[in-house]
Amino acid sequence: MTPLDFLYAAGAAWLAAALAGLLIARTPAGLRACCALSAAGGAAAAAGGGWSLLYGDTAVVSLGGPTVTGGPLQLQATSLAGVFTALLGVVAVAIAVYAPRYHQPSAGTSVYLAAYNLALLACLAVLAAGGMVTFLVAWETMSLACYLLILRHPRDLAVARGAFWFLALSEAGFLLVVAAFVILSTKTGATSLALIAARAAAVPGGWRAAAYLLALAGFGFKAGLVPLHVWLPEAHPVAPADGSAFLSGVVVKLGVYGIALFAFRLAPPAGSWPGLVTMFAGAVTAAIGILYAMAERDIKRFLAYSTIENAGIIVTAFGAAMTFHAYRQQALWAFLLIAGVYHVANHGCYKTLLFLEAGVTEHAAGTRDMDRLGGLIHRLPRSAVIAFAGTLGIAALPPLNGFVSEWLIFQGLFQGFRTGSHLTGILIVLAAGTLGLTGGLAIYAFVRGFGIPYLGMPRTRPAALASEKGQPVLGPGLLAVVCVALAVGAPVVLAALSRAARTVTGVSLGPLLLPGNLTVIPAHADFAAFSPTYLAVFLVCALAVPAAIYLAGRPRAGSARVPVWDGGIVSFKPRMQYSAMTFSAPTRVMFDALYRSAVSVTRPADDDPAGRSGPVHYEAQVSPVFQRYLYRPIVRALEWLADLVRPVQSGDVNLYLLYVFAVILLAYLLGAV
Amino acid sequence: MTLWFIRGLRRGVVTTRYPARPDPSAASLPTPPAFRPGQLTVQAADRLAAVCPGGALRRDGRVLVYDVGACAACGRCAAEAPHAVTASGAFELAATARSELIRRIPLRGEAS
Amino acid sequence: MTAATADELRKAIARQFGRSLHIRTLDTGSCAVCEQEIRLLAAPHYDLHRLGFFFTPAPRHADLLLVTGPMIRAFEVAARKTYDAMPGPKVVVATGACALGGVYPADPFAHGTVDAVLPVDVWIPGCPPSPLALLHGLGVAVGRLAEKVRDLPFTAPDHPERTRGDS
Repeated sequence: MTPLDFLYAAGAAWLAAALAGLLIARTPAGLRACCALSAAGGAAAAAGGGWSLLYGDTAVVSLGGPTVTGGPLQLQATSLAGVFTALLGVVAVAIAVYAPRYHQPSAGTSVYLAAYNLALLACLAVLAAGGMVTFLVAWETMSLACYLLILRHPRDLAVARGAFWFLALSEAGFLLVVAAFVILSTKTGATSLALIAARAAAVPGGWRAAAYLLALAGFGFKAGLVPLHVWLPEAHPVAPADGSAFLSGVVVKLGVYGIALFAFRLAPPAGSWPGLVTMFAGAVTAAIGILYAMAERDIKRFLAYSTIENAGIIVTAFGAAMTFHAYRQQALWAFLLIAGVYHVANHGCYKTLLFLEAGVTEHAAGTRDMDRLGGLIHRLPRSAVIAFAGTLGIAALPPLNGFVSEWLIFQGLFQGFRTGSHLTGILIVLAAGTLGLTGGLAIYAFVRGFGIPYLGMPRTRPAALASEKGQPVLGPGLLAVVCVALAVGAPVVLAALSRAARTVTGVSLGPLLLPGNLTVIPAHADFAAFSPTYLAVFLVCALAVPAAIYLAGRPRAGSARVPVWDGGIVSFKPRMQYSAMTFSAPTRVMFDALYRSAVSVTRPADDDPAGRSGPVHYEAQVSPVFQRYLYRPIVRALEWLADLVRPVQSGDVNLYLLYVFAVILLAYLLGAV
Repeated sequence: MTLWFIRGLRRGVVTTRYPARPDPSAASLPTPPAFRPGQLTVQAADRLAAVCPGGALRRDGRVLVYDVGACAACGRCAAEAPHAVTASGAFELAATARSELIRRIPLRGEAS
Repeated sequence: MTAATADELRKAIARQFGRSLHIRTLDTGSCAVCEQEIRLLAAPHYDLHRLGFFFTPAPRHADLLLVTGPMIRAFEVAARKTYDAMPGPKVVVATGACALGGVYPADPFAHGTVDAVLPVDVWIPGCPPSPLALLHGLGVAVGRLAEKVRDLPFTAPDHPERTRGDS
């Protein structure tokens, strides 16, 4: 019995769910059955993934003979993929519990669910792939299934555009990934990932670095590294909420998995500069991601940019790990791998939670625009509490899990001086500083992301009438519980991750990570220490102090209760509140060089004889810098190239016959030679 | 900065010592009037009531009702009947009850 | 308020605020000249701070409410909210002829006197009250200075040269 058996079970369940989705999901009972199968698959995947952390790498299993793609299917459950598989399982369960209350049974939903479960299966195959061809086939299937997933409402132009961006960039990334794999397999003479990993050291350093960089770029398209991220803010808002949750929670993480696969197993680079490049890419991505998030009013676009930010943080951790490895700091190498992977699990949980809650908000209040919401904490109390747990997590505030994983990453980066090289140390410190800026901006952004829709007064009538009746609560609630468990049970989780890191890197951290007493230390005993469990317990107990003061100081007879001091305003209007854009105005002003906002103000003429004036219209548009200066020129260049080649396809049959003749002649000549 | 410091030293302390010591500028403050009851005839009282802009003076029978709280120390009553009105010189007029600021001043007998 | 309880209150206030008092000013529709005189209190010549008095904008931090203006009706809610937001013990001082009811009668726009809305403890007349009068009034409010107006007759002896009046 190996973890791979659990993955088989999960795969079978998801295949069944996909078929069920296609056939019976047009009725409510069928919908629920399909989701139940999906949840069962998720549970199996979570169990399998968790077990493979502890079990280590299984053997490579070859299934079947030559397939369409020319080779048997090779499957292997590895430790590195263990966390990602567990995350996939947990997210699948949460979405399966959420979906029946979110979707209406219909033809479109049944196609959607089939595509979704196919995507789950494909993701599982990517994570369990033991061979190059299996990996690539699974990867491409995942991209296509996700494309169908996003295209839930194909007649909507915005949806079609968003899905198209996703597909185009996925294919571009795929090409680069194929190139990377081809380099490695030709240089090592193997197609099985385990063999490639074993022979990685024999590949010449230059080719290894080339393969790694191609993989970084190729998987970077999927992970959302700047400037390859543009599909995220286009595709996430237009997909259904659970589809967006799946994209952010799992698919982006698969891009990160690909980078980790190449960085730690298949093509660990020789010098330190690939690691520094990765770290730089990650830090820039994180900073730019959160800065763009500050300028967004649409909740889902905001969350999409936040995903980009977190993917940047994870990639920074991996890059720093590679740098430390190049300088023989093996303990920190393993430590940052653990920290990065832990952040993957954490972010997967709370980002999925936030997207599911965004879906609840959209259905309850009818809009995704933060400036049309407000006061939802009174209308949707349970959803607000769950969303708050997710917000605490993603803003990396103690005692939740985001804080623990970001603490670990920061502590790893702060030890840059151990590399012994001044330049590298300075670069690592710069990366840490950028992540610090990102962390601060993330808190600011999520105060806005939670405060504007949930707190205050409703800004529009639909928001004032929002109702929690019939909205899914259990799915996101489950994820909130998992977040808390990951935080309080951090020592347990880290112990498991430490076992996995030992399998991947060969370095056993043991007491260098968990010296006992539920404390965590960053790979060196003399640097820092903290206990997530005790911190969580302490913070909850510390709440007892203000609670006691409140209870003791409650009004006694003879004292008066008066309303909160509000500046003496007679009646509050919702328009007196902060709006999402005014709250983030200081950031937008300070970083205007990045946003390059185009502002237009129109006011009615000031020369009305009666002194009347009308509404002033203010419009500010953040420039789509990457589309305008990177993608548009590339697309134009490709179109120019295509125009150049067009005469070849003249449509003239005689010309085509000439082509056929010429090619046959050429073949004979070559054959003769 | 140095200039400010030197100017300050030259000028000396400008803060008043009030309420510990009397303030010399208090002597030139405009203050509410004091009345000479011996000079206040009924006609004089009516003229004073008519000329007071703040409504601090009112004749009630044979009594001049004088509301110190409504007085702006504008001096119109003193200009109208200089023999009957003089400055009281009192500026420390805080009261803990509104009624303490209202005085009823008896008028002189019949008009002469 | 009876004299006995007023005295007790004043003693309690003198104990608590005598050397450190936070004042919140409230303009209920005045012409702002009283505000100018109040503002002068913080200037170097009169220097409120040497007596331990401070201005604060937050009613939650204030001990004394210094009210000017004839309490226009549009401000009534805000005035009540400000007074309610002050924690006890608190003192209300009305200053200026408008606040004392001298200038405006009660009409649809104004109450005419602060007393109509807030319970006033000390009245400081003047239009505007000079800063010295304000200092004295604040001192009376906290029990540091004695009230003097009670003993002032506002009468003067007849002019010595005029034994016969000519109206």
